[in-house]
Amino acid sequence: MSAVFALVIFPGGVFILLAGMLYEWVDRKLVARFQNRVGPRWFQPLADTVKLLAKEEVVPDGVNAQLFVVLPVIALAGALTAVLYVPVFGLAPSFSFSGDLIVTIYMLSLLTLCMGLAGANTLNRFSLLGATRTLTQLFSYEAPFLLALLGPAIVAGSWRISTIADYAAGHWLILTQPIGFAVALIGLMGKLELPPFDAPEAETEIVAGALTEYSGRGLALFHLGKGVELVVGLTLVAAFYLGGVTNPLWFAVKTLALLVGLAGVQTLLTRLRIDQTVGLWWRYGALLVLVQFLALILWEGVIA
Amino acid sequence: MNNPLEHTWQSVMDQLKTWARINSPWAIHFNSGSCNGCDIEILATLTPRYDMERFGVKLQGSPRHADILICTGPVTRQARERLIRIYEQMPEPKFVVAVGSCALTGGAFQGCYNVMGGIDQVIPVDAYIPGCPPRPEAIIDGLVKLLGSLKADGAPERASEPPLAASVLEPSS
Repeated sequence: MSAVFALVIFPGGVFILLAGMLYEWVDRKLVARFQNRVGPRWFQPLADTVKLLAKEEVVPDGVNAQLFVVLPVIALAGALTAVLYVPVFGLAPSFSFSGDLIVTIYMLSLLTLCMGLAGANTLNRFSLLGATRTLTQLFSYEAPFLLALLGPAIVAGSWRISTIADYAAGHWLILTQPIGFAVALIGLMGKLELPPFDAPEAETEIVAGALTEYSGRGLALFHLGKGVELVVGLTLVAAFYLGGVTNPLWFAVKTLALLVGLAGVQTLLTRLRIDQTVGLWWRYGALLVLVQFLALILWEGVIA
Repeated sequence: MNNPLEHTWQSVMDQLKTWARINSPWAIHFNSGSCNGCDIEILATLTPRYDMERFGVKLQGSPRHADILICTGPVTRQARERLIRIYEQMPEPKFVVAVGSCALTGGAFQGCYNVMGGIDQVIPVDAYIPGCPPRPEAIIDGLVKLLGSLKADGAPERASEPPLAASVLEPSS
């Protein structure tokens, strides 16, 4: 019974969808305020979602219709599954096993993968170009992001998220692993395709990227998945690096503080070209994280 | 529909849908032969000074994502098929706003050999915003009036019903 509750209501279902919309609104509102605008009203993401769900869904010619319909569902399902293994709202994860950190990270990647497939599925040239860029970006940020989240795992001596979160609750790992924190946060921005990493959906050059042909329900599900991923990603970073999220108040304060930082970066920087994105990740991101990794391993294995 | 409970459920869902449509109009902008005056005013409407995101308006690149087609300029014979194609790429329910004198009647270009006339000669138009060019305030007012007319019965009253049929797609000599 409690498993069903965790899947459908809290934290896996309705609750996380609403939280995702709330965080999306906070993000949009903050960006608007930074640009000296009024910004959207508080129910804006909800209205967008309901409207998209009530709209006609056009299945274009030349696509595999079954894949076209099922990909958004898989994407959202992946994001919702990831929620079950992270300490959302400062509570213990609903399910936990040894190595669930890896599962969570790959569940989060499922959304990006589905978007890439969705773009490659259609005949539209903009979708195809967006899909290529989405997958290129996936391959560039994924490794540094994973390495950045493995830093806390090494010092905690476990790949179980709840164990790492418990260890991190007593240690502000942002102080001992600042590079990992920065790379994890920027990796999260790459994952969510927020500016300056929005080359895959650059609306001024390639219409809407991989999701160009999606309308109505499919688009709504992809948007919801992104909202969920935003919450899960912020939770992971806050729990690992910012002294843990041990109660709902700390959860709200720390994740919202991170969101303010993300919104600031979004407003400050302009879009990077896709080759600049890849270059940034592989030349600097991955290398810096590896250096920190080496330092950690030396510290753990040799000195301590 | 005989079941009263089902009827209530249906009306609640309809109200929810109408509410969402009014509060989340995503727009796409198409220039079918304008002099760019109206386009600049539309861009000015989207700037932080007027901030259309207050009403939930987002400028979308893809017709598949948009609810409102904002058209400027008279329809030239070359742009007509593109305009019809973009209109048909948009998913239902969709609305068309004609911005500027030329989009209303053809304006200064009326009677030209290469001009069809106003937007409503080609696709059904839901709201007309006059002006040469209309101020951003006028564009916002037009959009708000269009959304207000949705509130009444879920569908705006159409001033015109042009013959959007296969015959339109064939080039007239």
